[in-house]
Amino acid sequence: MGFFAKMRFPGDRHASTMAPSRGGTGAAAASSQGVASAPARAAHPSGNLRVSNGLKEFLWNLDGLGHGSLLDLGPVWQSTITFFVERGFKVYADDLLRDWKHFVTAEDERLRKIQPGEDASEMTPDSRADRFLQSNIKYPRDNFDAILLWDLLDFMERALVKRFVEHLADVLRPGGVIFAMFHAGKPDSFHRYRILDRQTLELIATPALFSIQRSYQNREIQDLFRGFRSSKSFVGRDQLREVLFVK
Amino acid sequence: MWKKPDESKPQSGTDSPGFAAASPTRTNAPNAPPVSPNAPACVSQGITIKGEIFGKEDLFIDGTIQGKIHFSDGCVTIGPNGRVNADIEAREIVIRGDVTGSLRARERVQIWGTGKLSGDMQTRGIVIEDGATLRGKVEVTQKDEPVRSARAGASPGSADAFTRSAVQAKSPE
Repeated sequence: MGFFAKMRFPGDRHASTMAPSRGGTGAAAASSQGVASAPARAAHPSGNLRVSNGLKEFLWNLDGLGHGSLLDLGPVWQSTITFFVERGFKVYADDLLRDWKHFVTAEDERLRKIQPGEDASEMTPDSRADRFLQSNIKYPRDNFDAILLWDLLDFMERALVKRFVEHLADVLRPGGVIFAMFHAGKPDSFHRYRILDRQTLELIATPALFSIQRSYQNREIQDLFRGFRSSKSFVGRDQLREVLFVK
Repeated sequence: MWKKPDESKPQSGTDSPGFAAASPTRTNAPNAPPVSPNAPACVSQGITIKGEIFGKEDLFIDGTIQGKIHFSDGCVTIGPNGRVNADIEAREIVIRGDVTGSLRARERVQIWGTGKLSGDMQTRGIVIEDGATLRGKVEVTQKDEPVRSARAGASPGSADAFTRSAVQAKSPE
């Protein structure tokens, strides 16, 4: 089907390798990323917009899919929901970082109540990561055609990240695509993202749920997503790397 | 962003609904306004109902409900203090409090900034205010496609501004 046929980067698993692509989304185009066009800025006076070649590529992969299923792991926004609903998608919303925050807060409270000598083996990072995933992202295998992961991985603790990515691979159907972001350094402020149009994201500054846990290098990103058959990345001037992964 | 439709806003200046006229205790007061026969039913704060609720008019919930709510031709509003653990079927559903359950709205679902929904929804239109919380599936049906109903006889509603339009996706330029 078209979804498979369009992905033409077999073997391109190196996130830093900018494959030549449609629409000039190569290195030259990527270098101009991060600044929204003048018309887009005029339409949205907040000005905190970002031209996203990763989003454009992500949507290109979904073209012709028809009634697909999309999992948005960020907070729910009218514009993002409408954008995909208008294209015939069923949208699953699940603000995972907020859920993780609630979970961690409850776990910390629980840990404080454990008396010396009590068994705290299930309070290890590995154990609580397992327990979190048992009660979240409970979807059937191969349920989604696309996942908006945003920059969640940067804010999750290490024990959770690997398990979480494996979990996402389970719920994504073969040929499905993930749109992720990685900060090259510590960002100035905490943002959530919403889609305004096919290539524009609006950055919404919100109170930080977590600080950056770590900045992933290319090799680490590749290792995390080693089960995926191709990847493509775009780096903006704001040091935000957008990466697509195809299962 | 979007402008909230005036007709779905509670008319009271407080967070509590301005449906005092529907309260039997108020109707006995000497200067109480006349009770409109079309006044929405109201489950006030502090009231808990467990079971299945049916109706044809509008319903305002600022209390707690567990079970099922069928108001196929009416608007069900969950107020800021409302806590609903129920499947809801209505013409329109407005969420300002906490809802856990599946929603089927013939026209639209509105989730205000204070609203929290954990559950799937099937509707023809959706309005989400910034700050709203949603965990579940959003399925928007077309105007000529009936919202699947657990109860027979749900007729398609009139077209509205939120009806999904078919948009042909294009490749990047």
